[in-house]
Amino acid sequence: MTRRIKEIIIKYIFFLFALVSVIVLGLIVSSLFREGLPVFKSVSLKDFIFGMEWYPTYDPPSFGIFPLIFGSFIVTVFATVIAVPLGVLAAIYISEIAPQAIKESLKSVIELLAGLPSVVLGFFGMVIVAPWLQETFDLPTGLNIINASVILAIMAIPTISSISEDALYAVPNEFKEASYALGATKYETITKIILPAALSGISTAVMLGMARAIGETMVVLMVAGGAAAIPESIFDSVRPMPASIAAEMGETPYGSPHYHALFAIGMVLFFLTLMFNLIADYASHKFRQTGSATL
Amino acid sequence: MDSHIIKLHKVNFYYGQTQALTDISMNFGQNRVTALIGPSGCGKSTLLRLLNRMNDLIDGTKVEGEILFEGRNIYAPNIDPVEIRRKVGMVFQKPNPFPKTIYNNISYGPKLTGVTVADMDSLVEQSLRQAVLWDEVKDILNKSAMNLSGGQQQRLCIARALAMKPDVLLMDEPTSALDPISTAKIEELIEELKKDYTIIIVTHNMQQAARISDETAFFYLGNLVEYNKTEKIFTNPDVKQTEDYITGRFG
Repeated sequence: MTRRIKEIIIKYIFFLFALVSVIVLGLIVSSLFREGLPVFKSVSLKDFIFGMEWYPTYDPPSFGIFPLIFGSFIVTVFATVIAVPLGVLAAIYISEIAPQAIKESLKSVIELLAGLPSVVLGFFGMVIVAPWLQETFDLPTGLNIINASVILAIMAIPTISSISEDALYAVPNEFKEASYALGATKYETITKIILPAALSGISTAVMLGMARAIGETMVVLMVAGGAAAIPESIFDSVRPMPASIAAEMGETPYGSPHYHALFAIGMVLFFLTLMFNLIADYASHKFRQTGSATL
Repeated sequence: MDSHIIKLHKVNFYYGQTQALTDISMNFGQNRVTALIGPSGCGKSTLLRLLNRMNDLIDGTKVEGEILFEGRNIYAPNIDPVEIRRKVGMVFQKPNPFPKTIYNNISYGPKLTGVTVADMDSLVEQSLRQAVLWDEVKDILNKSAMNLSGGQQQRLCIARALAMKPDVLLMDEPTSALDPISTAKIEELIEELKKDYTIIIVTHNMQQAARISDETAFFYLGNLVEYNKTEKIFTNPDVKQTEDYITGRFG
């Protein structure tokens, strides 16, 4: 066998491996659509997305998932509001301020946080946070928006922090030296030079953290409370989309409209996470500051 | 000329356990250009970075001895390094403009001082003119500095340092990353700047040291081997080792 043919064979073998994930994704998406689209025989797209009532087992059933979308949306937004400052500030501390010893241990602790199974976090939310919330604020239930948001934030912090940290590390040392040499303090250098230069990476981190929160199932299933209605306060229960799918799929007859409706919710989730990824991708290009000096 | 703006007295410097500079005593004359030469790792850049306390940013370093700047020991405990860096500007080996507009690159330093600069526009113009860059960039002040060529970027970095109105300008191999034409421009600029500033320049290029400096110091393995008038160093050095280095027998 000539060297050239070997090279070509190697090239195609690697191509094949790279193709596997694309094929798998394609198969999953196509089955998602095959099972999800038939729901629109029993409900219009508009009534499905904007319908206010999710009573899939009534007769006649109603498949309005707006309360579910809203539930996902509200816990994701609150989780982001909590997780972004914590994650980004932790990343700044680790990459720019902390002494070497603290830096190492802090990093491993945050990585450990990422490794916690979501069911463990959900359990924590259920048996520790929920009773505390219920007692402190005198609520009918502690399984609500604020509880779910806090737990989701804890899950999103490692993602946001470690990607932000990479972005901060990538800021060329020359910028920092130039800033210090002009008599800037550490605080001024961080806020005026390092953060702006790392902004694209940090926005990507935020988007990926949000994508993580919106797709998370176990936590919202366990601590969001499960009420499929538009909440009136942050202490109300909600039923985010992944929780609906997980809770209802087991009891749904195969091929029924309800079954198709759950797959259609999966489609909505798929489009939402896709959107977050596209925004993350866009942000990473949009705010990119061209690197250090070109010669 | 006998007025010395910076005086070093028995300075030792350590990176952790490694001694990088041994017993350096030397004075830098005001409004003079002093070149620091020597093979890589001889401590010349380390010495330069001692003069504006940039070595503070590296963990585990230690300074002994005295470095007097305008009569004050800059390593005394009551001295704020930020104050020193405002008076002792620095230009780096690789042009390192901030990824900001040309205008904001210049105004960055002055804005930090907290003093409201009454007329920032004219300070920017003045600094760019001093660095002989004004005519090339006056129409693109709001464009990113990253679009400039390497030589323009380096002159921007010089202008940025000048905007702080420093007394001393430290230059760490400022032309090593530039082409010959840009290098010539920077050298002309140094000639011009020496009227108003004290310049200390580290260079690997011995012709450059010979062309632009008044005094030259030759370092080897962390020791100051010879410090003399540039003309003397390059024609008739006192120490054999200096001659060997100048003539290219080692280094």
